[in-house]
Amino acid sequence: MNRRSEFLLLLSRMNWLMLAAVLALMTIGIIFIHSATHVREDVTSGLYQKQILWALAGLGAYVAATLFDYRKLRDAAWWIYAMALILLVAVLFFGTRIYGARRWLMFFGTGIQPSELGKLAVIVLAACLLSPPAGKFERLPPLGWMLFLAGVPMLLVLKEPDLGSALVYAPVMLAMLFVAGSAARPLVILVLSGLLLVFLVLGVVALPEKIGMSPEKQEKFFRAIHLTEYQRDRIEVFLDPSRDPMGTGWNKRQSEISVGSGGLTGKGFRKGTQNILGFLPRTVAPTDFIFSVIAEETGFAGAMTVIGLHGVLALCGLYSAMAARDKMGRLLCVGVVTMVFTHAFVNMAMTIGLLPIVGIPLPLVSYGGTFMVITLSALGLVQSVHVRRPGV
Amino acid sequence: MTEARRTTRYIWVAVLLCIALAGLVVRLVFLHVAIQDAGRTRTVKTRTYRETLTVPRGRILDGSPSANILAANIGVKDVWVDPAPLLASNRLSSVAGQLARVLHLDEAELSTRLNTTNRHFAYVQRFVPQEKAAELARMKLPSVYFSDSMTRHYPQGQNLCHVLGFVNHDGVGSSGIEQGMESYLKGIPGLRESRLDGRRREMYDRRIREIAPREGADVVLTIDQNLQYMLEKALDATVERHHAKAAMAIIQHVKTGEILAMASRPGFDPNQFRAAGDLQKLNRAIGYVYEPGSTFKVAVIAAALDQGIVKPENVFDCENGRWLYQNKILRDYHAYGRLDVADILKKSSNIGAAKIAILMGDRQLESSLRSFMIGRRLGIDLPGEEGGILRPVAQWTAISSSRVAIGQGVAVTALQMLGVICGIANDGQIMRPYVVKEVVSANGTVLMRQVPQVLSRPIRPETAVLMRKLLARVTEEGGTGAKACVEGFTVAGKTGTAQKVVAGRYSESDYMASFAGFLPAEAPEIGMIIVVDEPQPLHTGGLVAAPVFSEIAEQAVRYLGLMPASPEQTAMYYAGRANRP
Repeated sequence: MNRRSEFLLLLSRMNWLMLAAVLALMTIGIIFIHSATHVREDVTSGLYQKQILWALAGLGAYVAATLFDYRKLRDAAWWIYAMALILLVAVLFFGTRIYGARRWLMFFGTGIQPSELGKLAVIVLAACLLSPPAGKFERLPPLGWMLFLAGVPMLLVLKEPDLGSALVYAPVMLAMLFVAGSAARPLVILVLSGLLLVFLVLGVVALPEKIGMSPEKQEKFFRAIHLTEYQRDRIEVFLDPSRDPMGTGWNKRQSEISVGSGGLTGKGFRKGTQNILGFLPRTVAPTDFIFSVIAEETGFAGAMTVIGLHGVLALCGLYSAMAARDKMGRLLCVGVVTMVFTHAFVNMAMTIGLLPIVGIPLPLVSYGGTFMVITLSALGLVQSVHVRRPGV
Repeated sequence: MTEARRTTRYIWVAVLLCIALAGLVVRLVFLHVAIQDAGRTRTVKTRTYRETLTVPRGRILDGSPSANILAANIGVKDVWVDPAPLLASNRLSSVAGQLARVLHLDEAELSTRLNTTNRHFAYVQRFVPQEKAAELARMKLPSVYFSDSMTRHYPQGQNLCHVLGFVNHDGVGSSGIEQGMESYLKGIPGLRESRLDGRRREMYDRRIREIAPREGADVVLTIDQNLQYMLEKALDATVERHHAKAAMAIIQHVKTGEILAMASRPGFDPNQFRAAGDLQKLNRAIGYVYEPGSTFKVAVIAAALDQGIVKPENVFDCENGRWLYQNKILRDYHAYGRLDVADILKKSSNIGAAKIAILMGDRQLESSLRSFMIGRRLGIDLPGEEGGILRPVAQWTAISSSRVAIGQGVAVTALQMLGVICGIANDGQIMRPYVVKEVVSANGTVLMRQVPQVLSRPIRPETAVLMRKLLARVTEEGGTGAKACVEGFTVAGKTGTAQKVVAGRYSESDYMASFAGFLPAEAPEIGMIIVVDEPQPLHTGGLVAAPVFSEIAEQAVRYLGLMPASPEQTAMYYAGRANRP
């Protein structure tokens, strides 16, 4: 069998439903990036064209990843991880500062976000370490070691600072450990202590004012615990949205209005007043708040479609995991599914006011080059696992 | 790990994903329901803006051909701050300090005033002149804002203050013409309703409605700025010369009732109306009632002559200045023996006037006086007019008529007394006095024009002519009003020296000195009344008020270009056929 027909055979075994969901989400994304930016007469009005290019590049990576045998990653996993760490360190020093955070590395005029690469690197490395190499007995590495490996890039991302991206590492690692068969009790304890930490942070933010600390003392206190003002603001707004509806609470409130005002079938394509009239901040409408634009213009039906497509995507990924020929494939699928789904969930949850506003894009839909390519590469790896499943 | 356990864990993950998705869907449903109801209307409300389009207030112009401006608007700025961000950034005291320095305010007071408020709006100072506001704007103080405002300016200062009145800080006319003509002056504010975009800018293509404002109309007065000036000056000098407590004066056009000038003392500067007390703001000429004294004899004798009860040549015994009637003594200022009616008026004999009144009878006297508009408002187009006091005849005592005859036990305003005098000058027709000649809208349309209106006809024209002759004798040699004469003209009028009631008794030291008259006597054009309250030490109308009349009348006839009566007019006048065309 020559190489070409082998590739065709592999491609024919793809999870077509999953591909359909991916393509649907990408199409929706491009259409509504156009809708979100068409009112502006500056460079962003051409944003959807750039997104098409990124989508094509991403699809290339998707097909390449599908054809690539994921089992070869075992050799490259550490290298990928090391490279991701180097980039994450580099971005702290050479990154371009946008809105006070260094998240972007500029290469030949295009920016890439090392934090996105870091997620994939951790998934690949964890999949390798948690599955026994061929011919060896299964023995899981210590839990602490795994947490450390995920923790290093996580802390580097947190340092940028990019709280949203950093938080994604946690569920990804936990899910992989869980399906890898790690003992349930330590994981439960981990999750509970994580939740406890979250409540603690919320408490720390809310308490000083509640117990009547003077503004100067509060300032000192927060500086001591390294919580920047905008992070604090966002958490505070999440706790009490009416606190400052014109200031920090603006995005959240306007996003909720956008989503809620869409009605059953929406206001129509390019007719979302929240977006056109600039109530939805124009800088984030095509990126983090694309879901609000979709929900406003296509209504409840459109929002449900996007949620549904992401559900299909996740369940397809899990199906691929269960069908995989080896444990590494299974873990890879679970890792990627968790990463993509966590992004999708957190993004949609924040636009409808379920979670505080953290800058996380909606996978395959939001405008953003690096993330598009990384997501598609990751999903390509899932397909790679899928096409090499046994028994067909 | 068994195969079964592994599968279980995958299902757990799938279940968790589904729970998360379900959470999103539930929230989505709630959002739709919530926004559809209450939230939506509130959202629409916060995105709608409603603005009242204010219009400049109409001007007040004088009645002279040059239409001098008596009241106009000046664009000023209201300075205000949003204290909240200042408090948050601890810059309140420094900003307050700089504001206080430029605006000459008390810094401590300003700081506390701005500090205690937790709203987003507090006035620093209203009606700040443009230059001051520009100076502040150059300082670029944080959270300090300016809004356009208008303030009323009265270029003549104190002159005509009582007639013009003033506009309070909310832009509402609060006295005088400003109050009386408020509906014309204020205009009709417009309304604009529109939608706002995300930066709270108006979206012109989504304007909901716009009602154009209508500018305030100009009010043109009958008052002549120059006559007014003469009157004010003379009144000021009189008050000073005679150490008077107060004074009032009116010039009226006899044939129409137009008020050409009206002044009262004490006065105030309407540009600083807040500094003025109630006594200063009182328009005494129309709002202060006093016992008129001898000027009132004019009404009584005119009525008696009109009804044929007496003739000018009838002689009365004036009892040598002291007459006991109904157990009360009535005195004359100068003692006279026998005087005819004409001389009773000329010499102003109390006893003579009282006897005429008694001849008339209470009932007839009262109804005659009422037809002279005594005890009734004349309905001048200014707020605050008083109607005077004339008790109904049922409440009169046996001596009432004898006292009313000499202007005691009856109270009038200067405007009413002038009305009586001008009624005689105008062939027995009392005209409604008015100060507003017309109202002209901003585009030149005349919205209202005052028409002269006859209020009452207390006496026949023939009696009026007769009275004019008798009154002209008052200013002749030997009359009480000799000092009211104007060279070249015949002045008709009557003096009054009324004792003021102090603590229930007629005072021996406090008087109201007055003179009411008109000229030229043969063909009257203008009537004028001068009333001086508590002049010291001179206190008679003849010595205090009559010279003022003369002084003003002399300037007025020249200014108005009045000619002395021609020999023919004079001849006709003395032939008793009056100056009717």
